[in-house]
Amino acid sequence: MNIITQEGQMYTIIRLEGDIDLSCSPEARKSILDVLQANKNLLIDLGKVSYIDSSGVASLVEGYQTAKKKTLKFGLVGVSDAAMSVLKLARLDKVFPIHDSVAEFENEDA
Amino acid sequence: MTNNNSAAIEVVDLVTHYGPREILHGINLTINEGEIMIIMGGSGSGKSTLLRYLLGLGVPTSGSINLLGKDITKISNTEMHQLRQNMGVAFQGGALLSSMSIGENVQLPLREHTRLDEKTMEIMARMKLEVVNLGGFEKLMPAELSGGMIKRAAVARAIVMDPKLMFFDEPSAGLDPVVSAELDELILNLRDAMKMTIVVVTHELESAFKIADRITVLDQGNILMTDTVENIKNSDNERIQSLLNRRPSNEEVKADEYLNRLTGM
Amino acid sequence: MPETATHPLTNSLELLGRSTVKLIEEAGYYSALLAESLFWILVGPFIKRPVRIPSIFSQMMTMGIAACPIVFVLSFSIGVMLAIQMIYNLKTFGAESQVVVGVALSVTREFGPLITGILIAGRTGSSLAAKIGTMQVNQEIDALRVMGINPVRYLVAPSLFAMMIMLPVLTFFSDMAALLGGAVYTSIEIGLSFDAYADRTLSALAVVDVMQGIFKSLIFALIITLVGVSNGFSVTGGAEGVGKATTRSVVLSISYIVIADMIFTYFLNL
Repeated sequence: MNIITQEGQMYTIIRLEGDIDLSCSPEARKSILDVLQANKNLLIDLGKVSYIDSSGVASLVEGYQTAKKKTLKFGLVGVSDAAMSVLKLARLDKVFPIHDSVAEFENEDA
Repeated sequence: MTNNNSAAIEVVDLVTHYGPREILHGINLTINEGEIMIIMGGSGSGKSTLLRYLLGLGVPTSGSINLLGKDITKISNTEMHQLRQNMGVAFQGGALLSSMSIGENVQLPLREHTRLDEKTMEIMARMKLEVVNLGGFEKLMPAELSGGMIKRAAVARAIVMDPKLMFFDEPSAGLDPVVSAELDELILNLRDAMKMTIVVVTHELESAFKIADRITVLDQGNILMTDTVENIKNSDNERIQSLLNRRPSNEEVKADEYLNRLTGM
Repeated sequence: MPETATHPLTNSLELLGRSTVKLIEEAGYYSALLAESLFWILVGPFIKRPVRIPSIFSQMMTMGIAACPIVFVLSFSIGVMLAIQMIYNLKTFGAESQVVVGVALSVTREFGPLITGILIAGRTGSSLAAKIGTMQVNQEIDALRVMGINPVRYLVAPSLFAMMIMLPVLTFFSDMAALLGGAVYTSIEIGLSFDAYADRTLSALAVVDVMQGIFKSLIFALIITLVGVSNGFSVTGGAEGVGKATTRSVVLSISYIVIADMIFTYFLNL
């Protein structure tokens, strides 16, 4: 798994790539919570995720809840098919704000 | 999904005994990655025995059982321990630990095998309970749930580690048709979303035909046929037809042997 | 069946042989269980699969602390009973005041550990057999195994650990209660004060007397746990099987306790 964090002015983008499973999801969780602790709006790009297990999804859930508590913006971007089917299994596709691309998010935001 | 050629499970010449009695007489079965294989047969056909051995709960007389490329009749305890984290089993009666709440039951494999954060484990367990439509039930004890709910909670526990191999023992037994249909749907979802390889032992034809990629029919410790639903339905094998039509088959009567059995000689 | 009419004598001999073989088989099973439990207690923490500490504590509570009232009542009664018998016997020699020595020695060396062992065999040994037997019937044991949770580590080791700690503690508690019973009766019957009773008890008792009882209780702890657990694991045939295993475990462990007690008493007093 790769985690690429890209600091923006209005929000931070975390790009997750590859397989997110039990061995690395704690790392992803930490990156997500760190950004939110710093009171930054967060976009998570799942475009290059080949596999995500439920520990990974759980980290996204926790991140979203944390963002809501702090009234920060939170969204998933470019969710890959592999990730989407896992989200759908627990009906989480109806919970997360999901955007096709960063550009689309910016348009909506503006 | 069926034409994916890498085998997740491969059973070769499996022979098992219960005491002096031979139960399985040389089973050969290959289950491909990402397929749903139904093991079907009447009672006493050996289907539950086959499941026990697939789960590594017995030592076979001879033959080999390969799970995810590892021969479980030969591997070390440590390797088996690793492998078990990639296997989930939903037992017929649920087999939840009665001393723990539903939530604790579902979290148990995570607590035993991972060092995940407390919060992550809680969310994962709740997610799996949502998947089986038991959201909000985690505080209850198993004794407070109906049979069908216990079976679903057991599925949640079995999939909490996102296993690659998933085994169901008589999933629809004792369930009403609606819940049973939901469970069928869930099994299909697990294959499609989680790419699981799924083995279902059942004698429920309707559910079997609905979810199976392939079916293997066991009879008296032998495999009669392993094939697609279509081919099984159209098979002209008499035993299979009698199983499908729920008719007792006209077994040949060996008069002398029968008489001896009756008189206990 | 080829041989039909067997002689009654050969029949009972065969039965004796079979049950002997079964007992020896079981003894082998107990040793294997013990070895595996010790493995998990000693090695488990180093291979990141430790025995669950909370489970040890909760079992110490249920098998130890919760048993205190009944242990007290029974031991106190035994103390009174011993005092009655001894005063009655010693009267013939005009040596009633020696009752203190008699009660002190028989309680610490014999009755304390024995009565506690038998009581806990009936209370905890049976519940272990019933608990594990029920789990076996409900496929909970299979479920643990397929989840990669070793049932011996998860269920047996904590019980064994808790029992090995609590039974000696209960035995010591039982000693105290029985001595108190003896003191109460003696003070009423022959007017010996509590202080004098305590003084004489202390001077009559050597550490080794108490230790002998405690040592026995450790052996009893092993017997109760291993017999209870192994009967639980070997349950077949539903609820009826659980009932049978529970009864069998109580009868067996009490028998083993009494026999082991006799053997140890003999060797410890050579």
